[in-house]
Amino acid sequence: MHPALSVIFFTVTAGAGYGVLFLLGISRLTGLTPEASPDQATVMGLVGLALVTAGLISSTFHLANPKNAWRSFVRFRTSWLSREAVFAVLFYPLCLIWLACDWFMGNTALTVVLGLLTALFCVVILVCTGMIYAQLKTIRQWHTALTPVNFVLLGLLLGALILGFMLASQNLPLSRLVSVALGLVIISALAKVIYFYWIGQPAGPTINTALGFTRATVRLLDVGNSSDTFHNKEFGYQVDKVKLIWLRAISLTLMAVLPLLLISGVFGPVGSIALLIAVLSAYAGVFVERWLFFAEARHVVNLYHGFQRT
Amino acid sequence: MSALPEFEDHAKQTVKTTTCYMCACRCGIKVTLEGNEIRFIQGNPKHPVNKGVLCAKGNAGIMKQKSPAKLTQPLVRKAGTERGDGEFEPISWDKALTLLTERLRKIRATDPKRLAFFTGRDQMQALTGFWASQFGTINWAAHGGFCSVNMAAGGLYMTGQSFWEFGDPDWDNAKYFMLWGVAEDHASNPIKIGLEKLKRRGAKFVAINPVRTGYQAIADEWIGIRPGTDGLLALSFAHVLLKNEQFDWEFLTNYTNSTQLVIHAPGTSKHGLLLRDEEGELQIWNQATDSVASWNASSHDDEIKPALFGEFLTPGAKGGITDGVADCTQVKTVMTHLAEKYLSEEYAPENVAERVGVDAETIERLALEMAHVAFKETITIETPWTDWTGRRHERFIGRPVAMHAMRGISAHSNGFQTCRSIHLFQVMLGAVDCPGSHLAKPPFPKHVAPPIKPAKAMAPDTPLSSPPLGFPMSPEDLVVDANGEPLRIDKAYSWEAPIANHGMMHMVINNAVKGDPYPIDTLILFMANMSWNSSMNTAEVQDMLREKDEHGDYKLPFIVTSDAFHSEMVNYSDLVLPDTTYLERFDTISMLDRPISEPHAACDSIRQPVIDLDRDVRPWQEVLVDIGTRLKFPALTDADGGAKFADYKDFITNWEKAPGIGFLAGWRGKDGDEHMVGAPNPDQWQAYQDNDCFFEHKLPPEQRYYRFANKDYLEWAKSVGFNAHAGPITIELYSEVLQKFRLAGQGLYDGPQPNNDTDRQRLIDYFDPMPDWYVPLEEQRIDNEKYKFHAVNQRPMHMYHSWDSQNAWLRQIMAQNYMYINRQRGLSLGIDDLDWIWVESHHGKIRCQAKLMEGCNPDTVWTWNAIGKQSGAWGLSDKAPESTKGFLMNHLISELLPSKDGERGLTNSDPVTGQAAWYDLKVDIYKAEEGETGVYPEFKHIKRLPDMAESPTVLRYHTHTPVNLERSMEDALTRGHLPTGDKP
Amino acid sequence: MKLGLVIDLDTCVGCHACAVACKQWNTSGTTGPLTDYDPYGENPAGVWFNRIRSYEVDDYPNNKTVNTPMSCMHCDDAACVTVCPTGASYKREEDGIVLVDQSKCMGCNLCAWACPYGARELDEDSGVMKKCTLCVDRIYDEALPVEERQPACVMTCPTSARFFGDFDDPNSEVSTLVRERSGYAMMPEVGYNPVNKYLPPRQRPKAPTIEKKEAATGQTLIGKWMKRQKDAFNDFGKGAR
Repeated sequence: MHPALSVIFFTVTAGAGYGVLFLLGISRLTGLTPEASPDQATVMGLVGLALVTAGLISSTFHLANPKNAWRSFVRFRTSWLSREAVFAVLFYPLCLIWLACDWFMGNTALTVVLGLLTALFCVVILVCTGMIYAQLKTIRQWHTALTPVNFVLLGLLLGALILGFMLASQNLPLSRLVSVALGLVIISALAKVIYFYWIGQPAGPTINTALGFTRATVRLLDVGNSSDTFHNKEFGYQVDKVKLIWLRAISLTLMAVLPLLLISGVFGPVGSIALLIAVLSAYAGVFVERWLFFAEARHVVNLYHGFQRT
Repeated sequence: MSALPEFEDHAKQTVKTTTCYMCACRCGIKVTLEGNEIRFIQGNPKHPVNKGVLCAKGNAGIMKQKSPAKLTQPLVRKAGTERGDGEFEPISWDKALTLLTERLRKIRATDPKRLAFFTGRDQMQALTGFWASQFGTINWAAHGGFCSVNMAAGGLYMTGQSFWEFGDPDWDNAKYFMLWGVAEDHASNPIKIGLEKLKRRGAKFVAINPVRTGYQAIADEWIGIRPGTDGLLALSFAHVLLKNEQFDWEFLTNYTNSTQLVIHAPGTSKHGLLLRDEEGELQIWNQATDSVASWNASSHDDEIKPALFGEFLTPGAKGGITDGVADCTQVKTVMTHLAEKYLSEEYAPENVAERVGVDAETIERLALEMAHVAFKETITIETPWTDWTGRRHERFIGRPVAMHAMRGISAHSNGFQTCRSIHLFQVMLGAVDCPGSHLAKPPFPKHVAPPIKPAKAMAPDTPLSSPPLGFPMSPEDLVVDANGEPLRIDKAYSWEAPIANHGMMHMVINNAVKGDPYPIDTLILFMANMSWNSSMNTAEVQDMLREKDEHGDYKLPFIVTSDAFHSEMVNYSDLVLPDTTYLERFDTISMLDRPISEPHAACDSIRQPVIDLDRDVRPWQEVLVDIGTRLKFPALTDADGGAKFADYKDFITNWEKAPGIGFLAGWRGKDGDEHMVGAPNPDQWQAYQDNDCFFEHKLPPEQRYYRFANKDYLEWAKSVGFNAHAGPITIELYSEVLQKFRLAGQGLYDGPQPNNDTDRQRLIDYFDPMPDWYVPLEEQRIDNEKYKFHAVNQRPMHMYHSWDSQNAWLRQIMAQNYMYINRQRGLSLGIDDLDWIWVESHHGKIRCQAKLMEGCNPDTVWTWNAIGKQSGAWGLSDKAPESTKGFLMNHLISELLPSKDGERGLTNSDPVTGQAAWYDLKVDIYKAEEGETGVYPEFKHIKRLPDMAESPTVLRYHTHTPVNLERSMEDALTRGHLPTGDKP
Repeated sequence: MKLGLVIDLDTCVGCHACAVACKQWNTSGTTGPLTDYDPYGENPAGVWFNRIRSYEVDDYPNNKTVNTPMSCMHCDDAACVTVCPTGASYKREEDGIVLVDQSKCMGCNLCAWACPYGARELDEDSGVMKKCTLCVDRIYDEALPVEERQPACVMTCPTSARFFGDFDDPNSEVSTLVRERSGYAMMPEVGYNPVNKYLPPRQRPKAPTIEKKEAATGQTLIGKWMKRQKDAFNDFGKGAR
């Protein structure tokens, strides 16, 4: 699949924002940010919301006819994209009310409930985003529960690191956040490794089943179009195998190995600098991961264009 | 939600019928118009040719009409610029025609042959030929010399009919169909319609073709033959049929010259000729009396029992039985000759298998399968009919084996004999013009051969006494001077190509520039891309067009091109006369030509303008009538020089070839109620327009088969001017015409003989009176170890036989061609998909991209023809893949054979018919060096013509605001995901 | 009603007539124009609803070429419709035709991603998704002659390889063909239940041959034939006259 930068930026950045907001949302209950003042909490929440907003704006660049974007709320009943859009829009008032409550009222039961609700929305939206891809039977590399899991985990991972950096830069104690981040790094890296292994297994339709000729080799003779069509451009993207392995390694190193070392204190005390590097590294790593998520996905229509399998 | 969409506004539309012009099919089309814009072009369901269907080209007519390459005004090469530099300036029609007429007037008044007029994708040869005759030049032909002549002559000198426009397989009744030769060719839609009928009825479809694409894809069996060996395969089939005693004894006896007697008198002028009595009547051997009898008498008289086989002694020249052998003539029946020749082990499947590339068992099996269908699955049509002798037959007996042959058969230097070889075993099976076999299309069959001789005498200001093209029957008919030297500029009908019935357009530029046999003054080309894909040896032909003599004058002084589009040839012209498109003019597809007839109906058709002209262009038909009138052609002007006809339409209506016979056969007579023959009808055009632009005379059931011997048909065909007489059309398995030429080669002929050994030897080698096979000429002369591969080409179905612009829709399907190679063979040479390779022939080399495929004979490479364009032509940008990656094979093909010491340059053509031997090409292929990419050779970018608009970068063609089909918001909000609501 | 196409791979010669007829009709049709980009330049491409591809099955010399026209299959379980967030994509209740309401589409491409058959193409110029409408603006248009109320591709097909009809009617031509010729769906494992069906190439029974005669030399045979015509010339030559 063609890795569209607008979509990669959207899913990574908004994902990070939802991660930040999720962790903030549960922080009153779990004590992840015990010493953040309402002001500080609100600012951190707004930073999360800014990330979400930047992502959402970017996502509209992917639309060929954005003037109809408002119509995307219509098919909530069946469309994950519609659901994502509806939740994303509902999220704003909810999130703002919660942040306002937190700012005005501090740690009250209402704030806690609103925070938890916001956190729930964050996960739901991340799941919706994941499901947009996971629902597609046409792309076996996406059509798996690992897709939404991955979207959630990586959103939270980036969120944890960004939140950690914000705490550290305000000289607030990191408390349990480091452990949470460590846990997320390990789990999401593990999930990604499982994913890479899983997509490496041959499965799904082949050129033979695509055409219904299953008893012999089938080869494309003529594709019937001289220049690249919409389909070639959208679905025909292919990455060189060697490059792919390098990119996987780079992605895992940046999003997991380096942050792991940084926040586990191997390079010294876990301060704002270390966390900033961890954030930047993880963000870049997830960006590559998301690029790979698209680039490695092989749509079944390619079978008609001559691929032997997906 | 609304069930019915809102439809487009038909009140704003008009529908007109006309005839397509994208290829030789000439399908009927219905054009829906909105104002002067085309909404939709569809097949006309009532039309006899296409019955409502339409191919990709026909469907892309809108983009042809919208082509930015359309010429817009007459152009003249700018004074002081070089030919081919593409510097033109506009000139008014009046000035252009005056300029041309003055030049032509001088030529006509002094030496008419200094005008050469050749036409390409011409669908009005009857008109252009008429024009040349009236002008008085023999230097006229259409493009048949590089296209169809082997096909036409092979059939017309044997069965009186042929493949392509001459006949069709009996799609409705055939049980076995064999399709020969590469290229999805002649014709397009009718073959597709027919193939489906065959498949639906469960008939077997065998494809003999080095390449498996297109039609071959749906064949039940594919025989990936080696190019140029089809004739050998056909003769091997004949061998198997004879070995297994499978031939139609009765058919051969009754309808062919098999029982006629060949004189055995080696070393004399009679050797190999057919025995005739003193009245010239052909003779047979009567077993009842053990003496000769006339073939004609034997046909009528049941008491005469002709021998099909045997060798006999006949009385001497004076007649009467004598005892002495010395007084007798030794004769053998034609059939005995045929049997002896083809029973020879030389044609045994096991002996041809390797050369043909088909295993012996397969060859034998196919022949025996066809024999089974012909003789064990015979069909009958219960319609009584009368043969030419007056005998009544209760039914038509059908041998349901049908054939069709495509360009792969005709475009070899052995193509004439190959066509004959295919016809031979059709005839042996009795499968000619009978139900289920190959059926002639009126005006065919014609007598073997039609009694028209090619013109050779010319005089200033005088029309020719016969058409420039005809059918030589003996060396006397050649168009040569007293010394045996060619009289025509293309050397057609010379000793080098005696039966060049369609001329040899591919030699014109070469010969004219060399001044061999003489220089000419003006070359007029219509719709012929002779500086590109229609010439062999393209690059050098472009040089020839620029070649100057010692005075600095062009060796080809003046070139006039009529075309509708900015072709490569336009760029090499001195005067450009822009033609209309097919949707903007009146036109006739005449019965005097190769009309649109179907086997059971004689048909012709017209075109009418369906849209208004928006440019300063004129139909070539109109221009020809105009120039002819200005030049005072006798047929076009009256005694005091006044115009006889107001315009082209008037000419078509009122001109008569013979009393009652004109260009159009329908609705003749004063009141328009006479057909085929009748006085001119002033409202004839309107009658055609009112009848969907075609006329169809359906043959009554008793005239539909065995037309070579069918009394009713033959009498009708004579009455309407198709044939000169109503006598039988005898199938000539043994050609006395060829034997006469062979005798001339042997120095034995009682008449003209060649003046050199080269021509003599060619007549001896290739003029076998019986169908024969020989190694293609180029292959005889090159290093076959080096040039291991046969190289052929074909046009993709969506561009088949279309001559004009790269259509904006069709080029999306294919804008680049590749050299296709058998996969295993390619890999063994280290060549993979999309590798750049060199392809080298004895003549030149090209670089192109390779593609591997399974369905390709391992000793063959091939490509799609005419995809490659010269940069800048046809309204394409300089980055168009057609010029940056597309290529022509033409650069590899020489118009001359590889030379031999002491021999003049010989045309790379069939030695009998002069058909361009495009497919004889042999090549070597090898991978290009690292970094060697891009197509080679490269050509200069052609300049844009004055006032020609830039080609658009985005097209959004539509004729009205789309009527969007709205989904209601309620439905969008409330529906479950499937139409049935929430699924159970 | 369940409208759709049957395509006969036994007769399709890959001529592209259907694809161009479709392009021609639909460029002025309900979802037109079908934009063409760079039509005379380096990368000529555009919006098409119907594309023809050729494949080779098996290796030389057992290879068979198969031409496959592909357009929207109007699937029973059309995921292109379920994924559409705006409701622009829908499957009509009355006849099962899958359409895109051009005024509602936001051009997110998700429906094209959901389609296994490459049936949907974005018009980059207008920014909306386009696809086969089964010529909904022909098949119901009572101003057209009855025999022309068919999709343009079906009308034009020179090898009659395309059939249009109602799959809900067991006696319709399309249902009968699918039943009798083992019509199949492409890539069924994706589970979209495509309505369009393909008829596989026919397997023709082996053609019978004339029984082979014992080998004899040419001279023997000609001698035999001469004797035969002599012995019984009445039976030969003019027997049927």
